Amino acid sequence: MSQVRVPADSGYVATPEELAYEARAAENALFTASRVMIGIFAFAFAALAFAYFYLRSTNSAGLWRPHDVTAPVATGTAIMALVLASTGLLAFGLRQFRRNDTLDWDVAGWTAVASGLLALGLQCWELTDLPFSPSTGGYTSVFIGWAVMDIILLVSGVYWAETLLARHARVRKAATEDSRSAGFASAHFRVNVESCTYFWGFIAFVSVFFWVFFYIAG
Amino acid sequence: MTLDVAPPSQVGSAGGVRPPGGAAMRRPSWLGQHMGTGIVLAVGGYALGHYLGNVIASGYTYVGTAAENDVAIVLALVLAVVGWLLGVGALNYPLAKLAGREPAARPDADHWTKYFRFSVEHKTVGLQYLIAVLVFLFTGGLLAMSIRTELLSPTNHIIGPGTYISIVGEHGTIMMMMASSLVVGPLGNWLVPLMIGARRMAFPRVEAFSFWLFSAGYFVILTALPLGGFPTGWTGYAPLQTQADVGMDSYLVGFSVIGLGMILAGFNLLVTIINYRAPGMTWGRLPVFVWSILATSALLTLATPTLAVACVFGILDRTVGTSFYVAAHGGSSYLWENLFWFFGHPEVYIMALPGFGIVGEMLPVFTRKPLFAYRVAAAGMIGVALLSFFVWQHHLFQSGINPDMRPLFMLTTELISIPTGFIYLVGLGTLYKAKIRFEVPMLFALAMYFNFLIGGVTGVFLSDVPVDVTVHGSFFVLAHFHYTIMGGLVFAFFGGVYYWTPKITGKSLNKTLAKAHFWAMFVFFNLTFFPMFLIGLLGQPRRVFEYAQGLQTLNDFSSVSAFCLGASFIIFVVNFVWSIFIAPQEAPANPWGSLGLEWQTATPVPRHNFDRIPVVMADPYHYSEPDPPPVADLAPTSFAEMAAAGADGGGASRGGDR
Repeated sequence: MSQVRVPADSGYVATPEELAYEARAAENALFTASRVMIGIFAFAFAALAFAYFYLRSTNSAGLWRPHDVTAPVATGTAIMALVLASTGLLAFGLRQFRRNDTLDWDVAGWTAVASGLLALGLQCWELTDLPFSPSTGGYTSVFIGWAVMDIILLVSGVYWAETLLARHARVRKAATEDSRSAGFASAHFRVNVESCTYFWGFIAFVSVFFWVFFYIAG
Repeated sequence: MTLDVAPPSQVGSAGGVRPPGGAAMRRPSWLGQHMGTGIVLAVGGYALGHYLGNVIASGYTYVGTAAENDVAIVLALVLAVVGWLLGVGALNYPLAKLAGREPAARPDADHWTKYFRFSVEHKTVGLQYLIAVLVFLFTGGLLAMSIRTELLSPTNHIIGPGTYISIVGEHGTIMMMMASSLVVGPLGNWLVPLMIGARRMAFPRVEAFSFWLFSAGYFVILTALPLGGFPTGWTGYAPLQTQADVGMDSYLVGFSVIGLGMILAGFNLLVTIINYRAPGMTWGRLPVFVWSILATSALLTLATPTLAVACVFGILDRTVGTSFYVAAHGGSSYLWENLFWFFGHPEVYIMALPGFGIVGEMLPVFTRKPLFAYRVAAAGMIGVALLSFFVWQHHLFQSGINPDMRPLFMLTTELISIPTGFIYLVGLGTLYKAKIRFEVPMLFALAMYFNFLIGGVTGVFLSDVPVDVTVHGSFFVLAHFHYTIMGGLVFAFFGGVYYWTPKITGKSLNKTLAKAHFWAMFVFFNLTFFPMFLIGLLGQPRRVFEYAQGLQTLNDFSSVSAFCLGASFIIFVVNFVWSIFIAPQEAPANPWGSLGLEWQTATPVPRHNFDRIPVVMADPYHYSEPDPPPVADLAPTSFAEMAAAGADGGGASRGGDR
């Protein structure tokens, strides 16, 4: 059967069938990885939710939420809205991407990244301008924990989307020049884009869930 | 015809193409990024972080009054870790990606310096892990020796109580960190791709990143000693955690860093096992060691985030003044206990399951029998992993939980002995009526079963509330978990090292020295830890450096045995250095006659593991069968033809239409 010699420093010979098999494995790995990543973050945020409900129910020294302190609702709502906007834009971009309209995906994606960065900036700024001291009570502690974890989550999501868009901008020309590479790469890239969008769906869910508990239900 | 087969993620690479014409210039090995530059940048990061922390927190009231600055220490440690990662080159790829670059995966130079660099080759990373876990093990072991030295006398002391508890805490934390990665790190990374017929890991850079985080964690946790130590033991209980000096920051940052490394290691292995299995490597043909790594990886990825979050809460309490664990300000110390043990009990199985996987792999080889009830072993491992999330409250039986909750968690804890029993019965069934070859790896495997039986049975005692109430916090508990972790995991690990060293290094270890190591380790392990059951039942509490005069004989017996146990590891080190570096002897290609896929490829293992992606035909346990099926075709003509012949399945054989 025909064999394909790979570049010298790769050190092995691969058949087209093997290349296709490994390419498919890489696509599946991305799909699985995004789900496992969601699992990792889900357990981390489950720990935060546990802290919230545990401290709320124990209400040690009657200091769960003294003086009904609340984090700035307007800022929190803006952060949540920006995250939802990012997710919506990425979902729209994905739909266009599937229709091979990569320009729409580019525009929607970069806008989503900008929106995510704005949410990130607002989340950081909110921490510097809180109307309470961290040690006021259980609620204030958990809120600061949430803010820190939300920053980590948003950084992860924005980083993923930005790197995809940056890579797309860089490889677009190369991909069209080599149809075989383009075939593998586009399939792999498509799974990457889908996985990233899926992950942003999780970010949106987390944002809405904790927005309700920190800003609305208290 | 030449095609670009850079992995799909590398299409459009901006680098990796050698300029045409002329040989590439070879840089001196000390140039570039390696552990040396990592250390330099880590020290620089520490200094910078310390300075910034002092600037930020100089106005804090408690910093002025207590003369300690947690902000400075935490920032120093975090920036030291970042500096370390920058220095070794672990952040090159993530930063390059921001500009859309996909650096080509350059193979390691075939030079010993590759072990001090950021390598994306799974076999190199496995060996890096091997050395690192041994450094962890011997550091923790030295601390154990100092603990036993102090306990030689109930009243004459070599070190003070504060130093003693710091050493106990440091020993426990280092050992727990080590044990979490003891098998997954070295053997998991080295063997899993070979065992599933893959040429690579799913995410090689994530794998390497996890190792450099793991090694950074070692240095971070060691800084606790010069910073005054931490008084909580390895469990880090609040409110002592909140009240402790800055050594506690090293514990919290160190556990976070190691935790992140554990998550990434588990994540990568999980994705690799699911997706990179060779054609024909169905779930029913997966080696039992891979099943154990799969279950362990699931635990690592799902349980460890809870620990990381708990540590972040602790850091926030100590630096920005939140009160997660401060009851007087609306928090609760029980919050730490719950979060910690929600990780901590699965952690027990993170340490136990890989050990069972190793011995499960070795028993059929040395008994020349098929693995008894293979599917039950796999189910048992998954069952243990699932149930381990539902037992954490038994650690709080004596910590003020609602007494009505005790029976429930007593029940779940006892339930977990059922799938554990499955795994045990698989081993016994395989041994039944077998003609055992008592090679050194098999001796370790049998010792593991013996030790873990004692650890497991005493664990069932401890799951019962009345017994737990009686012996909680005593040396009985200490003996129990040393029997499971050291008696189980560490024995299995050394069995695995003796078993796979001929494959990994191509060299044979000296059998006489290996047997001396085994017998010394087995005898003195039991002589060290069995008396501790009695010491515990007689009432000696853990973590206390003074004890009743009447317990001195037992303690001295245990201490002297511990010194001999420590010395047994010297035999291993001597054997390893002598047999691998000083007087190496070529090992036979398959010295144990194993059917495992990892033994079917060449030794030393080629860079890409297999010349052809193998097609797996059967599980590797058909020993002594009259007409055993071939395990794999290492030179398949085509996957499609093999699929027609019954070799369908494998990681990439689904989802193609996604």
